Amino acid sequence: MAADLTEIERMIAAALPGARVSVTDETGTGDHLRAIVAAPQFEGLTRIAQHRLVKSAVSERFDDGTIHALSVKTELPG
Amino acid sequence: MADAELKQKVEELIAANPVLLFMKGTPEMPRCGFSMRVVQALDTIDVEYGAIDVLPALQPLREVTAEISDWQTFPQLYVNGELLGGADIVEEMLASGELAEALGVEQPQAAPAPQGPPAQSPPLQIE
Repeated sequence: MAADLTEIERMIAAALPGARVSVTDETGTGDHLRAIVAAPQFEGLTRIAQHRLVKSAVSERFDDGTIHALSVKTELPG
Repeated sequence: MADAELKQKVEELIAANPVLLFMKGTPEMPRCGFSMRVVQALDTIDVEYGAIDVLPALQPLREVTAEISDWQTFPQLYVNGELLGGADIVEEMLASGELAEALGVEQPQAAPAPQGPPAQSPPLQIE
């Protein structure tokens, strides 16, 4: 089942209030996604900690098998 | 629950190797594109590192790293006992020059030049 990109974006945005989130389908198969996230919560965190925040926001969709891979690019809001 | 004996072994390996890569396959023959990308990044930096093939014990190792560092996907690059990241983070840090810095080596000339100040570093504390 392909992921609903808008739902994934909403899940990340809900976990990180104030974030700018853009999720795209990398392979056209709907299960390998790429998320670009700019969030004020990233301030002062290591990249791995930033990525953990994003991945944990959508862990439900990993657990149910909707997403197989999520490539993440984090930024501080400019 | 992760296997306690395996977890202890992994913790000892991470402590004993300043730069340690958990990957699918070996540096000579990576079995996954993401693992290959980290190997290539490390080769660009020309740093010595230990590598562990996770494929023979993939699920038990996932459970172990989930407990140790809250991360379940491979590759995982550990530097000085801490998880630095997977392929995305390692490549980003190579491009910005932060990878060489984290590994405590000079960035070779052939590698991409640092692109200005790293946008991700925490603000400097001035006292």
